[in-house]
Amino acid sequence: MSAPGHPASVVAVALVVLATVLVGGFGLRISRTTSDFYVASRTVRPRLNAAAISGEYLSAASFLGIAGLVLVHGPDMLWYPVGYTAGYLVLLVFVAAPLRRSGAYTLPDFAEGRLESRQVRRLVSVFVVGAGWVYLVPQLQGAGLTLKILTGAPGWLGDVLVASVVVIAVAAGGMRSITFVQVFQYWLKLTALLVPAIFLVLAWQGDGRPRVTFDEQISVFRADHPLYATYGLIIATFLGTMGLPHVVVRFYTSPNGRDARRTTVAVLALVGLFYLLPPVYGALGRLYAPDFMHGGDADAAVLLLPARVIGGLGGDLLGALLAGGAFAAFLSTASGLTMAVAGVITQDVLPSRGVRHFRLATVLAIAVPLAGSLLVSRVPVADAVGMAFAVSASSFCPLLVLGIWWRRLTPPGAIAGLLLGGGSALLSVAITVSGAVRPPGWPHALLAWPAVWSVPVGFLAMILVSLATPGRIPPGTNAAMTRFHLPEALAAGRVR
Amino acid sequence: MSAESTPRREVVTGEPRRVRPLPRYRAQSEIDEQTALGGAYVRSLMRSQLRAGLTVFAVLATVAGTLPLLFEALGSDALVWGVLGFATCPPLTLAAWWYVRRAERNERDFARLVEGLPSP
Amino acid sequence: MTGAGIAVIALLALLLFGTGFLLGRTARPVRTSDVGTPVEHATFETLHTASLAAPPLRSGLTEESARRSARRLRSLLGTDALCLTDRDRVLVWDGEGDHHGKDVMEQVEGLLASGRDTAFHSDCGDLDCTLRWAVAVPLTVDHRVLGTLVAYAPRESAVLARAAGEVARWVCVQLELAELDRSRTQIVEAEIKALRAQISPHFIFNSLAAIASFVRTDPERARELLLEFADFTRYSFRRHGEFTTLADELHSIDQYLALVRARFGARLSVTLQVAPEVLPVSLPFLCLQPLVENAVKHGLEGAVTLPRPDGPVRAVDAPIRVTISALDAGAEAEVVIEDDGTGMDPERLRRILRGEGGASAGIGLLNVDERLRQVYGDDYGLVIETGVGAGMKITLRLPKYRAGVHGS
Repeated sequence: MSAPGHPASVVAVALVVLATVLVGGFGLRISRTTSDFYVASRTVRPRLNAAAISGEYLSAASFLGIAGLVLVHGPDMLWYPVGYTAGYLVLLVFVAAPLRRSGAYTLPDFAEGRLESRQVRRLVSVFVVGAGWVYLVPQLQGAGLTLKILTGAPGWLGDVLVASVVVIAVAAGGMRSITFVQVFQYWLKLTALLVPAIFLVLAWQGDGRPRVTFDEQISVFRADHPLYATYGLIIATFLGTMGLPHVVVRFYTSPNGRDARRTTVAVLALVGLFYLLPPVYGALGRLYAPDFMHGGDADAAVLLLPARVIGGLGGDLLGALLAGGAFAAFLSTASGLTMAVAGVITQDVLPSRGVRHFRLATVLAIAVPLAGSLLVSRVPVADAVGMAFAVSASSFCPLLVLGIWWRRLTPPGAIAGLLLGGGSALLSVAITVSGAVRPPGWPHALLAWPAVWSVPVGFLAMILVSLATPGRIPPGTNAAMTRFHLPEALAAGRVR
Repeated sequence: MSAESTPRREVVTGEPRRVRPLPRYRAQSEIDEQTALGGAYVRSLMRSQLRAGLTVFAVLATVAGTLPLLFEALGSDALVWGVLGFATCPPLTLAAWWYVRRAERNERDFARLVEGLPSP
Repeated sequence: MTGAGIAVIALLALLLFGTGFLLGRTARPVRTSDVGTPVEHATFETLHTASLAAPPLRSGLTEESARRSARRLRSLLGTDALCLTDRDRVLVWDGEGDHHGKDVMEQVEGLLASGRDTAFHSDCGDLDCTLRWAVAVPLTVDHRVLGTLVAYAPRESAVLARAAGEVARWVCVQLELAELDRSRTQIVEAEIKALRAQISPHFIFNSLAAIASFVRTDPERARELLLEFADFTRYSFRRHGEFTTLADELHSIDQYLALVRARFGARLSVTLQVAPEVLPVSLPFLCLQPLVENAVKHGLEGAVTLPRPDGPVRAVDAPIRVTISALDAGAEAEVVIEDDGTGMDPERLRRILRGEGGASAGIGLLNVDERLRQVYGDDYGLVIETGVGAGMKITLRLPKYRAGVHGS
């Protein structure tokens, strides 16, 4: 393992952490003190909202994981960023506007509003919490890894640090979904990745543009059925984005369905822009840090590249910028997810409501994944996040798509689909992470990339059981459909 | 008035009325949302929107479904790196933009259709 | 012979048809009296008595209404004594043997808890007293037991038990109607009061006067204010939908404040802090306006009534500070409206929130509190911090999503 990083990196991380706590503690609010506020900006504009969504969405998997995977396993891994981006296209065409018009703040809200069933609501809550936890584990592990690389601190310290910062910030009443803070997070992450990338590319050119080859045999095992794994990845990321709890919550901020659509296009562009960078790091990593290909901690390659390629003070400073950006990624995604999961826990799990319960829920929301991150074996960050997408794709995707477009969906159908599709995906992920089924062989491939079969299972179960229970179609279905699809201007003008 | 002389405040809340929140206004909203426009009109809007969505999704699924096979057949890592790393964002954004224009046009057409009706 | 045979058969057939015809007619009442049969008369009498007992009961179950209806009810039942109680005491005793009255509450205790009919023996030791047995039935509205109806008889009587049950059910319907009447008038009253509170003639007059004062000096401002005024009244008088969005409600408040500011100029200092994330939140229509109006009014009162013996002295031109904030709190939005005006005696405020504050005072607060609880449940009532001379801070929590609540 390489030597601990420059103190500048530690300072950068400390700054990001401090800023997060302060923002949380003081509850920085974007507001105006005069009433021309309404005239100037009645609502959050699509572009601003899009940057906020992107800020929360770009996690450690994007910041560190993709480059690491590309470095180790070659360009096939670029399906990750493609999937993360294309997921928004699927979300746009099937979900964005109707979801906003449903008025739902969370997925359980949507389920209850559409299917008029407390039971479905509770089940969806369980899945939101489950998917959120699966998503949180790699964030915490990534933080632990980053801190280990930077300071040589034991691996668990970073996990605990990020978890505690999130708890303090969220429970202190801050880190609410404040648009401007997240917008800042997006640009911080982009800058933190872009500036070092420019210097790295310049250095590469100065080096006489050596050719990057991906032909070297990969020594670290990933999948013995790579094509199947690729398809599993594509399906999970394309269909899973729409169900991520912290993404759904942000759509509420759009003033109407039309703006929700435009927001999604902007997110697509911003996320796509960001994803131009990790492949650069992956390729340069191949060239300048080939030792990572055989080591375990390829996720850290991004952080150490500037020191390797440029070196000196400049390299250290760029490394520090990357470290700060990485921590911003952990904190923003982790706190967004924790907020979403804690919200669901307070509303649907804990008995009574109130501020104290929300704090308790926050602790609960992050304690479980923290324990998970410390106990389970390390899976590459991007792969672990891919599993969260698989769970989301096999449970929330059928629920949302059928709920929005199909009148004959019934509560029993939804429950069957969630349990069979989402449940089996969740179970597969749990088995994979626990290490009970080991590669090689089809059983491992099927369990590690469940989306290929669990998504169709989820859709089929939902459709077939719904068709078998035609008497259970919620009475308000037509009203709900009308609300989902009717443009707001028309809905308001109609009654005037 | 100065801060020192500010009298103390007490917290006052109403007494619990033991009201159960009104479960939902379904009947009312259903009448409101159904009779006014009629299910047939909404269904036609849904169909046109779904068609637009499915068009985009079909193109996306075809491309994403065949690319891995193509890459496998060609076996050129540089091509994969170039296509997936840099060439996906623009077409995705273009497709999204096309869809949004199409969906908004559908909604405008629908509004014209409905507003041209004698008031329900 | 055949001719005679045919004649006989024809005759028989005729006879048969004739009898059938007559029998068919007798299947209906043979004699319909134009002046009514005894049974019909009894029915008329019962209906008449019932109709006489109805009007008092339509005002709810009170001592007054019980007194006025008890005699009619007793004659409906044809019993010697009848007693009506609410949950705590005997409201009226009609008929003989009113010394039984003191034991009634003890005997219906179980009924009040369970809501089930009971019968009991009521020997009082007095040999002349004929009230030996009683049946008690609950008077329920919406599954709540409001009181009881107790009918007395000399001996056990299934007929009386049945009749008492039927009469009690009829009374319940009347009481239910009373409840309905009350809530209907409450809604109408609340609506009117809310609107009046918003747009009192006073406010209209003052606003127009203020606008008029700008017509010469600053026509552009006058035009803007007039537009604000038109917008504001349009919103407040809109008829559709029970719900609105925070964005619309705050916009309307902003217009209201612009009009108030036109009158009081720099004296009114309003701070608005709004997180844009909560603007799409749906909430009951006109829920914030009465609170803001309240805050402005308190601020003005604080400035005008000087010096008060029990409160701090306040200069006439002291600025009135009102702060309105709407913040994002996860699954809820938190709205706070604060002023530094006269405040209110907490006891008086408690009375107002119990609905005992009298006709004029704090109707806005009560109305908003009731509607919030009605829509979101008891956890979401107003939380008010106040004291005499201490200003007032009102906090509302609004869930971002609640099934059935959709602002338009």
